[in-house]
Amino acid sequence: MMSIKAFTLVSAVERELLMGDKERVNIECVECCGRDLYVGTNDCFVYHFLLEERPVPAGPATFTATKQLQRHLGFKKPVNELRAASALNRLLVLCDNSISLVNMLNLEPVPSGARIKGAATFALNENPVSGDPFCVEVCIISVKRRTIQMFLVYEDRVQIVKEVSTAEQPLAVAVDGHFLCLALTTQYIIHNYSTGVSQDLFPYCSEERPPIVKRIGRQEFLLAGPGGLGMFATVAGISQRAPVHWSENVIGAAVSFPYVIALDDEFITVHSMLDQQQKQTLPFKEGHILQDFEGRVIVATSKGVYILVPLPLEKQIQDLLASRRVEEALVLAKGARRNIPKEKFQVMYRRILQQAGFIQFAQLQFLEAKELFRSGQLDVRELISLYPFLLPTSSSFTRSHPPLHEYADLNQLTQGDQEKMAKCKCFLMSYLNEVRSTEVANGYKEDIDTALLKLYAEADHDSLLDLLVTENFCLLTDSAAWLEKHKKYFALGLLYHYNNQDAAAVQLWVNIVNGDVQDSTRSDLYEYIVDFLTYCLDEELVWAYADWVLQKSEEVGVQVFTKRPLDEQQKNSFNPDDIINCLKKYPKALVKYLEHLVIDKRLQKEEYHTHLAVLYLEEVLQQRASASGKGAEATETQAKLRRLLQKSDLYRVHFLLERLQGAGLPMESAILHGKLGEHEKALHILVHELQDFAAAEDYCLWCSEGRDPPHRQHLFHTLLAIYLRAGPAAHELAVAAVDLLNRHATEFDAAQVLQMLPDTWSVQLLCPFLMGAMRDSIHARRTMQVALGLARSENLIYTYDKMKLKGSSIRLSDKKLCQICQNPFCEPVFVRYPNGGLVHTHCAVSRHTNPSSSSPGTRT
Amino acid sequence: MRKPDSKIVLLGDMNVGKTSLLQRYMERRFPDTVSTVGGAFYLKQWRSYNISIWDTAGREQFHGLGSMYCRGAAAIILTYDVNHRQSLVELEDRFLGLTDTASKDCLFAIVGNKVDLTEEGALVGQEKEECSPNMEAEDCVSPRAPKQVHLEDAVALYKKILKYKMLDEQDVPAAEQMCFETSAKTGYNVDLLFETLFDLVVPMILQQRAERPSHTVDISSHKPPKRTRSGCCA
Repeated sequence: MMSIKAFTLVSAVERELLMGDKERVNIECVECCGRDLYVGTNDCFVYHFLLEERPVPAGPATFTATKQLQRHLGFKKPVNELRAASALNRLLVLCDNSISLVNMLNLEPVPSGARIKGAATFALNENPVSGDPFCVEVCIISVKRRTIQMFLVYEDRVQIVKEVSTAEQPLAVAVDGHFLCLALTTQYIIHNYSTGVSQDLFPYCSEERPPIVKRIGRQEFLLAGPGGLGMFATVAGISQRAPVHWSENVIGAAVSFPYVIALDDEFITVHSMLDQQQKQTLPFKEGHILQDFEGRVIVATSKGVYILVPLPLEKQIQDLLASRRVEEALVLAKGARRNIPKEKFQVMYRRILQQAGFIQFAQLQFLEAKELFRSGQLDVRELISLYPFLLPTSSSFTRSHPPLHEYADLNQLTQGDQEKMAKCKCFLMSYLNEVRSTEVANGYKEDIDTALLKLYAEADHDSLLDLLVTENFCLLTDSAAWLEKHKKYFALGLLYHYNNQDAAAVQLWVNIVNGDVQDSTRSDLYEYIVDFLTYCLDEELVWAYADWVLQKSEEVGVQVFTKRPLDEQQKNSFNPDDIINCLKKYPKALVKYLEHLVIDKRLQKEEYHTHLAVLYLEEVLQQRASASGKGAEATETQAKLRRLLQKSDLYRVHFLLERLQGAGLPMESAILHGKLGEHEKALHILVHELQDFAAAEDYCLWCSEGRDPPHRQHLFHTLLAIYLRAGPAAHELAVAAVDLLNRHATEFDAAQVLQMLPDTWSVQLLCPFLMGAMRDSIHARRTMQVALGLARSENLIYTYDKMKLKGSSIRLSDKKLCQICQNPFCEPVFVRYPNGGLVHTHCAVSRHTNPSSSSPGTRT
Repeated sequence: MRKPDSKIVLLGDMNVGKTSLLQRYMERRFPDTVSTVGGAFYLKQWRSYNISIWDTAGREQFHGLGSMYCRGAAAIILTYDVNHRQSLVELEDRFLGLTDTASKDCLFAIVGNKVDLTEEGALVGQEKEECSPNMEAEDCVSPRAPKQVHLEDAVALYKKILKYKMLDEQDVPAAEQMCFETSAKTGYNVDLLFETLFDLVVPMILQQRAERPSHTVDISSHKPPKRTRSGCCA
């Protein structure tokens, strides 16, 4: 059983003060009331001492007793019991079965001689029911068999109020309100003397051991139970606390919260009421009295009086913590809640929780430690400060004093054990990560985040990057130095970026890519930088590293310009001409950028279009030069060039045509001629130079896209004419002509075509064309007939309307009034609206609308 | 200390495993226990209620304390050892008398502990703990015997108790609901036992509260005393 020092035994009254060297004089009883200490002896003396407490800074207080008075009571019997009634200034003295009242100061009996006779023992009611402040309630066990009597004791008189007879002879009594707690011969009972109801508590054997009945507080008693048990019982007969297990032969018991103190022949034992454990054992021989008086615990042998001085609870708790008994310390602290003012308690309790947390922490009991730190609202920096170098140098933190733990740092705590150290660091990582977003972190987020960053960096933890890319409070200088030390250059760059030092960040990353410093965090760091610059708003920074990224890779590097987010582009902070100028050295990048301008952004600017076309052209020429001899099939660039030349109308055609001269790019020349409207020339090239009939056909189609049908027809006719012009000798062209006709029958004017065709061609040959042309012609004819019919019927409707209007005559008399001015007509001229209304001509002029119809009328 | 709203008491002969049952439930473990001295108790928070559970000493020496512990109890768990018929007999002979002090509507549960030591229990344990087959084989050498007390015996005792208490079977939970076979060692049925009781005890707490005078004084409903018109000259 681990013990704790809860009490110190100090001497109060030395033997010499009492009896000198008289061997046969023994102490019988003790009473203590404030500073007044009374001792009764077996030779019928009562002594009065004044007890003075002198606090000693480091240790228990000492007591000195000065004798005030001693008085012989005039019997030859021992003084059995003493009780002070300070409100009455009376001492109740039980001697020779009689309780007499004496003055507390001069020990003189009251003049009235009032006394209670026939008392074997007595008890004061500390929870009185009478409500009269000038009397005390006394309960006696009468010398009469099986009788209890209740008295009211006044300053100089006594009055019996109740007599109760019990089933067995009572041996000990305690009182609370109307409740008597009695030790009878074979059992303990609770008796309500007001209602007369008794309740058995439990049996015991009075022959083996004298009973103990002790009121320990409001409505609760402590009893000596069987088997060395200290039992608790309330006035309701219920046990609300678990019993304490003291020794078999206890002769006295007292309570000094939260402890139960018991006395036997050889020891004073101390048990906690909170966990029922024995906490302290003090050797004490021949003790026979143990009593508590308003919190002061006094023990006495027959020769001397001693005081059990409690150690302050805080000291006890600290002692427990010092011996790492966290559970017990917390139980004691919680138990002390009632005895300490709330504010003081909270401060104390929080500190104890924190201390306990550090104890658990030192034992690597991290779960428990975390809970204690949390509930103790620990300043996280206390924990961080255990780890060397984690707190930023600028932190104003100093550890609390007195210290919460005994460790200088983690090295001392783990005694250099690297494995333990790693575990501790791991714990701090998770703990800081948990608390950094809670209110615990308020006020020192910088310290926490910086410490966390250092831990992550040291442990090469993935969360380092997460920490840096989300909201954080890492201090720049401290963190930067640490990251550099641990070669976390990429992370350092993120830190710079977070602190708005993008230039430093990019420079650092560039250094990594260049191999000047080593950090393998990201294998795609180059792409990362490009991406970073793409979204970077700092124009200068982009320009500063444009060359570098382009040198690394023109295709990827150019994304810095081409992939910039749209909203930013609209501000147009980057001038395309500047970019083009910059990209001169990087032809591939330039092409990409111009493509971006022309194709993606659809910028309608001649320069860009021409420039892009020229660049394509140059590349095509270059490719041709290097691949000379090999089949000149159209490369990808060539395809792009053709597409651009076809789709765009902005580039300078003549300029390009010049460049094409003699380059051997007939297809491209054809497109350019087409752009100039020189279709004959273009088609000539396609047919004769290239002999690519499909391309020629295609030309006719794309060139007439979006134009009117006659233009298309003109193109097809031109092509057909070219085919036919060669005469029958050119067999291939003839076939091409037939194919053209057959495939695009509707694009031709069949009448013209038939006249152009050689007479030798069979109908069979041109069957698809003829059928198509025929169908087209019939279709056109029928459409026209329908249109003609519709127009005719429309005309008929109008004629009918006209006839109807002209059909009837109108008679104008001076009785008819103008519908607008309501005046009669004076002249034969009038206006008539289609609905029949007649008005003056001038009225119709002034108001062109029919008065009763919304549509304007026609004059007749 | 939180004030308990209700009390449950474990009774039974020594060495039937009362303390082990309680520790298995409260601390989720099965440590070696020493013989309980006097008594001990735990406070269990169940929903918003505090229920105190008293562990008593089975030794004859502390027998006298039993009725005090049972005073005002809302439920009593009578525990026996399924491998010792005598422990069931003791419940009726010695312990039933202690329950006279319990509250009038006190519930009774009859619990046969240590089923892990019986032949059937071995199977239960196997399922529960998923022991490796070898281990189980070794364990089987240990004294596993046919169960001495069967559930029907407990049910019979339950019905006897109702007669003794002069309770109508219809007013109390059925015997099948209140007789358990448990193993504190494997944890078998332990949670079921306690939680069944808690759920039955809660309505009793509510009922108690309803019957008890209210702790709140309603100031608003105070009626001013009627002024009596009585002057000296009236």
